[in-house]
Amino acid sequence: MKHEMAKKMVLFSVIGTIVAMIFMASSILFPHPLLLVLAMSIGQGIAIFALALYLLAVALDLQSSGGVYIPAEESPAIEEPPPAEGTGPPAT
Amino acid sequence: MFSIHSTEQLLKAIALASAVLSVLVCLWYIVRRPHLNRVTKSMLLLGLGAFPLIVSLTGNIASFEYTLSRPFCGSCHVMGPYLRDAEDPKSNSLAAMHSRNHKFGETSCYTCHADYQMFGAITTKQNGMKHLFKYLTEYASTGPDGEGGPTIHLYKPFQSGACMQCHSATAKKWVETHGDSAEAIRSGEMNCIDCHNEVHPLALSRRPKLTKGGVQ
Repeated sequence: MKHEMAKKMVLFSVIGTIVAMIFMASSILFPHPLLLVLAMSIGQGIAIFALALYLLAVALDLQSSGGVYIPAEESPAIEEPPPAEGTGPPAT
Repeated sequence: MFSIHSTEQLLKAIALASAVLSVLVCLWYIVRRPHLNRVTKSMLLLGLGAFPLIVSLTGNIASFEYTLSRPFCGSCHVMGPYLRDAEDPKSNSLAAMHSRNHKFGETSCYTCHADYQMFGAITTKQNGMKHLFKYLTEYASTGPDGEGGPTIHLYKPFQSGACMQCHSATAKKWVETHGDSAEAIRSGEMNCIDCHNEVHPLALSRRPKLTKGGVQ
């Protein structure tokens, strides 16, 4: 649950960073006073918020995994459901 | 397209490159949606933390440098007459003569109008924010050169200290030519522009009701 929430938060922070970068880059390319003020206030505000959201997401993710490192090949996207009764491997 | 000839341009290039890298990392995450493992987290830390920080630092410095330049001051249409006069090679106004100075001509507006004090840069930028607010609320819908808008004036009388950054008020020749006024100018009782009042003639001619002394 926390892992899914963390992924959503990372997605929001990624989108926020893109918006912030567009603001800041446009103020560098087209340095109009209003655009500069918007980039330096709103743009940087969004970027800081996005970074804070990302760090929070990482903290949540670490909390959900108990601080244990999970390598890429072992981290499951969706947990497999337990096998239904009678469909499991034959008892030896 | 984008050539690098100064520190400001170098900073802008670094800021733009960092912004592009940051967006690329973000797009990579959106498209691939990888697991939140150590590699992904490190990549995102670069894309969401390190690169935006570089954009912010270099972009702020470059933008601050640009805000000192004459084209930036003239980017609001109400400054058109002031800018045209300052950039006119035939004009003999103080603004034009100072703008032709190769030492600070490109930043002539800021050099003469910035507050000359310890925190002058900060108070000048605060006034810049006030300019922007006034522009948006009072001048945005005025004529091509600001016709129909309120009279443009300084927030406080022009201080001779700005002139004395370069023009020494103690040099022998200056003392000789200014005679009895020298002490009054140094003490602030008299202003340089009380006599040298051809500062922005083009703008003054468009606004004939203006008077000198605190108003330009």
